[in-house]
Amino acid sequence: MTLNAPMRAVGPLLTAICKIQPSPEHLTPLHPDFLQVCLSAKCYKIGYSILEDDIYKVDQPRDFFLYCYYGGMICIGQKRFAKALELFHNVVTAPMSSMNAIAVEAYKKYILVSLIHLRQFSSTFPKYTSSVAQRNLKNFSQPYIELANSYSTGNISELQAFVQANQEKFENGNNLGLVKQVVSSMYKRNIQRLTQTYLTLSLQDIANTAQINSPKEAEMHVLEMIEDGEIYATINQKDGMVRFLEDPEQYKTCEMIEHIDSSIQRIMKLSKKLTTMDESMSCDPLYLSKVGRERQRFDFDDFDNVPQKFNL
Amino acid sequence: MFITPTSTVRPNRPQFLKPSLDSSNSHNRAMASLKDPAQMASSSSGLTFKLHPLVIVNISDHHTRVKSQSQPPSADSSSSTSTSPSSRVFGCVIGVQRGRTVEIFNSFELLYDPSTHSLDRPFLEKKQELYKKVFPNFYILGWYSTGADAEESDMLIHKALMDINESPVYVLLNPLINHAQKDLPVTIFESEMHVIDGIPQLIFVRSSYTIETVEAERISVDHVAHLKPSDGGSAATQCEIPPENSLLRQVSSLLRRLPAIESEKFQDDFLMEYNDTLLISYLAMFTDCSSTMNDLVDKINIAYDRHSRRGGRTAFI
Repeated sequence: MTLNAPMRAVGPLLTAICKIQPSPEHLTPLHPDFLQVCLSAKCYKIGYSILEDDIYKVDQPRDFFLYCYYGGMICIGQKRFAKALELFHNVVTAPMSSMNAIAVEAYKKYILVSLIHLRQFSSTFPKYTSSVAQRNLKNFSQPYIELANSYSTGNISELQAFVQANQEKFENGNNLGLVKQVVSSMYKRNIQRLTQTYLTLSLQDIANTAQINSPKEAEMHVLEMIEDGEIYATINQKDGMVRFLEDPEQYKTCEMIEHIDSSIQRIMKLSKKLTTMDESMSCDPLYLSKVGRERQRFDFDDFDNVPQKFNL
Repeated sequence: MFITPTSTVRPNRPQFLKPSLDSSNSHNRAMASLKDPAQMASSSSGLTFKLHPLVIVNISDHHTRVKSQSQPPSADSSSSTSTSPSSRVFGCVIGVQRGRTVEIFNSFELLYDPSTHSLDRPFLEKKQELYKKVFPNFYILGWYSTGADAEESDMLIHKALMDINESPVYVLLNPLINHAQKDLPVTIFESEMHVIDGIPQLIFVRSSYTIETVEAERISVDHVAHLKPSDGGSAATQCEIPPENSLLRQVSSLLRRLPAIESEKFQDDFLMEYNDTLLISYLAMFTDCSSTMNDLVDKINIAYDRHSRRGGRTAFI
């Protein structure tokens, strides 16, 4: 790193990780360093290959935060927004006992990626988020939340005005590029909403409703979305009509069977892991002591699974 | 050879052939009537006969066994058909007679004594006693034999049985496999007193019958009928590989579960239904997983209470 040639560090770090890891499910301290190096060297693909393993064991929580944060950025670089969203979500909801700068940054990016990918953002936290995060995260990322609010109105010019106004704040967070992507995704969002209301629509109308400048641009957007598989539509070039279709997947093919079958296998493995974790949690003395303590408040026959001696 | 009964459950075999008791050649006809099926008189007793498939399977099994035992086991198939004449097998049929309906349920074998042209009487009585204990309702209704047609000597047997049952039935199974004939090669004869040439004589007349079966019987008979001496068995006798019965059973059950039709429309529907089932099980697993996860999260929240300030980080596994 001191040589300012991060590219050279990528190879050796990758081998080091593979050797140190007791199993692909472990997170080592080398992981976040490796990802950071990849980011600096812009070797996103190699970094992404590490991200594909699921992590079950973490030694140091800080490693985890950094790993997820850098991992999310690499995914953004690769334009895999779904995986980036997942990683940022992990950072935000990870257990933390005090406020964490990594989590704050991650939360800002989380909002932006959610707007780009899902075209919406919900500000309620899932219940497994730590209470520390729940209370404090919003305070640190105020402009982003306002951005999300104005995004949900669907008005592009308003959004652009807002971005202009707060440009330096976004720049300070090194997020301006992402914000610009958010603005351009607004068109797609509007078009997508149209599919839910109309069966056919002319390109001119699309342009008007979605506040796109010209039908030509509208056609371009629609075409992009069809190619990405985000909507199903046919464009009739003669009269400029766009026809929105249903998902043509009939679930009749053997590939679909294989796909579902592999998903079932994955979820079976996951289920086994979850049950073992649940069982080990039930035997955890800390948990048992807490449950035992609260037991007095409840009726006698509410839950009997705690022996008397844990009643502190 | 093993005769497999056709799978039709109720073949109606009307055998109503016009009785032609022309007095001019009645004598010839009387002799010929026993041998010529086309001019056999039809039964006029008005009894309805119901035959259970078990009887047919029993008779054919008896015949096959005797036939295969009478031949030397090392004879190859080419000589078996030509040389030995098919010996007849005999036995008794038992069942129930209710009013005008005669229902033949079961049968058992009897030894035929060629010298006295009669069936083994003491054995028959012993068997009858045993069967009476198990099936108190069943009576000896008659007897059976194999062959192409009823013969004169059969009448002697028939008369001998008349002291047990005043009007016994005679079930005849034709063991020759005739592929042109679609019906079962089973005929039921009754004896009737007909006046031929002024002499009252007992002759056989054909009767119609229906096949009667209960569900359990149908399944088991079907099952037995589909057993064929497989080549795997012959490999076993040659001591190549010991046949793994449980494995064979699994294989056969797997084969039976495969779809039997091969049309495109069927493929579509089949795959769609298969996908639906897979999706449902996927959904079920999902729900199960989410519920476990929910419990786990609750436990973690209770155990590692965030409200209290703790130094350092809690272990996160």
